[in-house]
Amino acid sequence: MGDDAGQIVISGLTKRFGGVTAVDGLSFSAAPGSVTGFLGPNGAGKTTTLRMLAGLVAPDAGTATISGRTYAALESPGRKAGVVLEAAGFHPARTGRNHLRVYCTACGYPLRRADEVLETCGLAAAGRQKVRGYSLGMRQRLALATALLGDPAALILDEPANGLDPEGIAWLRGLLRDYARAGRTVLYSSHVLPEVEQLADQVVIMHRGRLVRRGTLAELTGGRGGLEQVFLSLTAGSGRPGGGPS
Amino acid sequence: MTRLIAAEFRKLLTTRLWLWLLLTSLAWTAGYCALAIAVDNRPGGPGPALSGAAGQHALFAIGAGGAGPLAAILAAAGTAGEFRHRTAAATFLAEPRRARVITAKLIVYLLAGAAYALACVAVSLAVALPWLAARGTPVSLAAHGNLAVLGAVIISVALFGITGAGLGALLGSEVITIAGLLLYLYVAEPLLSRISALGSWTAYLPGVAADGLTQASQAGVRLLPPWQGGLVFAAWAVVIACAGAAVTARRDIT
Repeated sequence: MGDDAGQIVISGLTKRFGGVTAVDGLSFSAAPGSVTGFLGPNGAGKTTTLRMLAGLVAPDAGTATISGRTYAALESPGRKAGVVLEAAGFHPARTGRNHLRVYCTACGYPLRRADEVLETCGLAAAGRQKVRGYSLGMRQRLALATALLGDPAALILDEPANGLDPEGIAWLRGLLRDYARAGRTVLYSSHVLPEVEQLADQVVIMHRGRLVRRGTLAELTGGRGGLEQVFLSLTAGSGRPGGGPS
Repeated sequence: MTRLIAAEFRKLLTTRLWLWLLLTSLAWTAGYCALAIAVDNRPGGPGPALSGAAGQHALFAIGAGGAGPLAAILAAAGTAGEFRHRTAAATFLAEPRRARVITAKLIVYLLAGAAYALACVAVSLAVALPWLAARGTPVSLAAHGNLAVLGAVIISVALFGITGAGLGALLGSEVITIAGLLLYLYVAEPLLSRISALGSWTAYLPGVAADGLTQASQAGVRLLPPWQGGLVFAAWAVVIACAGAAVTARRDIT
């Protein structure tokens, strides 16, 4: 790995869906060894940004790179970035363990990685059940387990705490914190502001497709009030209630 | 590439759809062959006598060849199902070069189609050979070009696999792909191929070309000779597969 291993750089990123500009000239970066909280109201463009970073949505302008390259140009992408986009994306009739083994095979990892990440994510007992029977929290854990298969240098997570119970949220917080302490990059979106206050080294706030503020927690709050106050004042006025891909 | 092909096989074999569709194919083959033999030589029977070449060709081509549409459904579920179940994101995260993923799927569903066809050929022989021999209508694989028909059936069903995978990738919806496939093969194409104004052009339609390849005779439908039908059907399969790969490469996975 080079010096920029795990470094995430978003530069002038823009995406339009039909006449709607979902992401509009967005730029920020996330450094190895830190946790970046990615905030914004529904419809702000967070998910579209993360999907462009993961190479699933093509930007209309700008670039999004991981370790200096676009996702599609990475060698062994699963080792450079682990991505969780939603607690969905499983065939209901496939077991969690088989889901993981499919992606072990596709990436060339040994099959035992499937059992290791099941263990890490607290799914060892549920691994041989079909995903159809999983709760939302279990699906979220399975999505995270899939992202962890390649032991990646960066984690890119879209609302990973969604559907987790309090024990799961505490577990996730520990996992992300350990990940950053190990010198890796964590970029995650969330609506749970107290959670972000506990965990994030840097906060990026998006509104209506644009960056409205980025900085450390102390820089954003300036010692006055909490993150929630800052967030609500920056994103005042309706976002896009119920509108479009977020 | 080997990894991707292995991963697609793992996907295919870790749910049960392949088994249900295989059992349906085998049941169709056994049922069709049994019916054709039971009504053979009866007055007003549906097809040519099974003692002749045409009757034997139809027996194998329609009996074992019935696996084609089911192999196409399996393949369509394998490509379009990635969008239905939203597994496409994980699949393209593991291999962002999407054309390689589609190529792996085409290879896997070509092989799955060939395997379906082999199983159906075995069932058609298991039903027809002893039964017809017992009736005093011996059937030899070496005679009447029967072996060539069975070979054509395997190629045809394998091409159906490619066509279904390509169509699923092209349309991106499992329901629309499968419904469209069945409506086209069983409603639109039989109607089109009986419009006399279209003349011999209907022989170039994909399903009719596939019938030409296996010489699955339908009364009143003009077929191409086997090698031409095979080339035309293969051309359709390749064009549809390339279109599916091209569309998938540009599709936003939202």
